[in-house]
Formats: sequence, structure tokens, C-alpha cells
Amino acid sequence: MNAHAFDDATLWLVFILIGLATTLPRASFIVLGSRVALPSVLQRALRYAPAAALAAIVVPDVLLVAGELAPLNPKLAAAGAAVAAASLWRNPWLPFVAGMGVLLGLRWGLGV
Amino acid sequence: MHTFYSPSFRAGAREGFRTFLPLSVGLIPWALVTGMSMVGTGFTPLQAMGMNVIVFAGTAQLGTLPLIAAGAPVWLIVATALALNLRFVIFSAAIAQGFRGLGAAPRWLCGHLLTDGVFATCMTRMLETEDRDWRLGYYLAPSLWSWLLWQGFALVGVLAAGSIPKTWSLEFMATIALMILLLPMAKMRPMLVAAAAGGGTAVLLHALPLKLGLFAGIFVGIAAGFAADHWPKKPEAA
Repeated sequence: MNAHAFDDATLWLVFILIGLATTLPRASFIVLGSRVALPSVLQRALRYAPAAALAAIVVPDVLLVAGELAPLNPKLAAAGAAVAAASLWRNPWLPFVAGMGVLLGLRWGLGV
Repeated sequence: MHTFYSPSFRAGAREGFRTFLPLSVGLIPWALVTGMSMVGTGFTPLQAMGMNVIVFAGTAQLGTLPLIAAGAPVWLIVATALALNLRFVIFSAAIAQGFRGLGAAPRWLCGHLLTDGVFATCMTRMLETEDRDWRLGYYLAPSLWSWLLWQGFALVGVLAAGSIPKTWSLEFMATIALMILLLPMAKMRPMLVAAAAGGGTAVLLHALPLKLGLFAGIFVGIAAGFAADHWPKKPEAA
């Protein structure tokens, strides 16, 4: 089973680089101390990075099938079910159950 | 170092642990889903746990999995992880005073272990308490507990997922997880603008080589969120 496109050595290198991209922002000011201040303009801009990145990953994943816009695909329906479950109920498991249920139901039941 | 044996370190550790314990159960489903998604992406159990130990960041792990699966260029995977983690620069700056009086080694350890949950729980008392050892205990106990929970339940997810066939599309759980993370952010207007612009740009430019559309999406999203933040405060062309 090898669904991804990297060989073993490259994959470990990628893990280490992602690890650096995680530890360095976290440790930055804790290690530097509070002598250095972050400009408030930069602070405000940084707040939007996670939302922008999350959406840039997720939206193409649920809207595109094989590189083409496909508004009626099982992944989008599954995404809708997961978002609905997350907004309606507090249970942390339900979005996963609903999303995976719809995705697998459509794929297996209807062969979409 | 005497710090870890001092009574005030232990008192702080007990209090931090007690405060954080009820919240920490929220980590369990995330760790399980992350473990299962890593296996769904095609990682061996060793690779999955290696990533889990090296990276120790749910959002960055889940967010990079679809890119690794698609064979995106390494620089883009790293840039995306960085974008997902930039909020920690703000958290790190906000809590830095809480580590006054400590040497470089504990600071690096504490920095590596910084999570959203511990930050939100511990920051206030970290800043207002004078006793250095107490503060360190109060921060480290919940942090190490988070680390243990994260590694333990990711391992459960990895082992459970190993017995689930590929046709179950477990990797889609990463996408679901990312959407749930995005949901509370999108309730604030500038955040919603950032997400809409980022997602829209990434879709429009998806055909660009090297998955540059994703990079453009992150960039345009940040700019749009920033603009939306400033828009209402500007007077209409006076």
C-alpha cells in the first residue's frame, strides 16, 4: 500500500521539514524572550493564514474531480453532511460518522 | 537541574494537570482521526508514528496529508505547514513572559510542546505568577499530558486503520477534520472572507503547475482577510 508519491527517505525529510515549520513558530518568542515585539499589522495578517490555508486545501478537494469542477460529486455531499452535523450537534464524533457515511453510502450504494 | 524536584514545581504541575484534564478528552478523536488518516494516505505504521512524534501538530499533519498524497512539491508542503502554524507566532509572543528566568533548553522544550489548548488554559496564570518553578510545572504537566494522549491515541488510530481496507477512503477523514476546524473561524466576517478568497482562488487556479494555485490561495486569502478587517473602519470617500 503506497498511496503517496514519495520514497521513504524523502518522506522522512518532509516530516522533519514540517516539524521545523511547526516547532520554530511555536518556540519563536518563548525562546527569544519578550524583548522582541511583533508589529501589530503583522499580528493581524498572521491571524488569517490558517483560515486561508485550510480553505485552499479543502475547497478544491471537495469541488474538483480529476481536475474538473464537479459540483455534484460524493465528496461534496459528504462534506455537506459533515458540516451540517458539526453545526447542529456538539458531539465530536458525529461529523466524521456523517461525512464518511454519506461518502461510502454514495460510492457503494449508488456506485457514484 | 533542581527545578523539577522543587515542591513548587510539583504543586504547579498538579494544579495545571487538574485544570487541563477535563479539556484534554477533546484531543482523543483528533488523535484517532489523524492516525487513521496517515495510514489512509499510505504511510506504514512506523512512518505514521514518526510523523506524529516529529511534527506533533494536528492541523499541520492533517493539512499536509492531501498534499503528500498528491505528490506536491516539498517547498509547497512546507509553506502550507508554515501557514497553518503561523498563529503560534502570536501565541508564542503572548505567553513568552511566562517563561522568564528559565534557560534555553526548557524554553525550547516548552516551545516545541505549545498547543492551542494549553495556551488558552495556562496563559493567564503563567503571566501573573511570580514563582518560576511553579509556572514551569503548571505549563509542563498539561503539555506532557497532551503529548502522551496525542501519541497514544494516534497509535490506536494507526493500528485500527491498518485493518481497514483502502476502499473505505479513510484519507477523507483528514478533509472532514480540516472543515470542522475551519467552521468556527468562518463565523467572523474577515475570517470568512479570507477562507472564501483562499478557497475560491485555489479552485480557479487549480490547473497551474506545481500546485501553485494552493500557494496563491493562501496568499490571496490572507490579503483578502486583512482587507476585510480594515474595510469597515475606512470612512466612505469623504
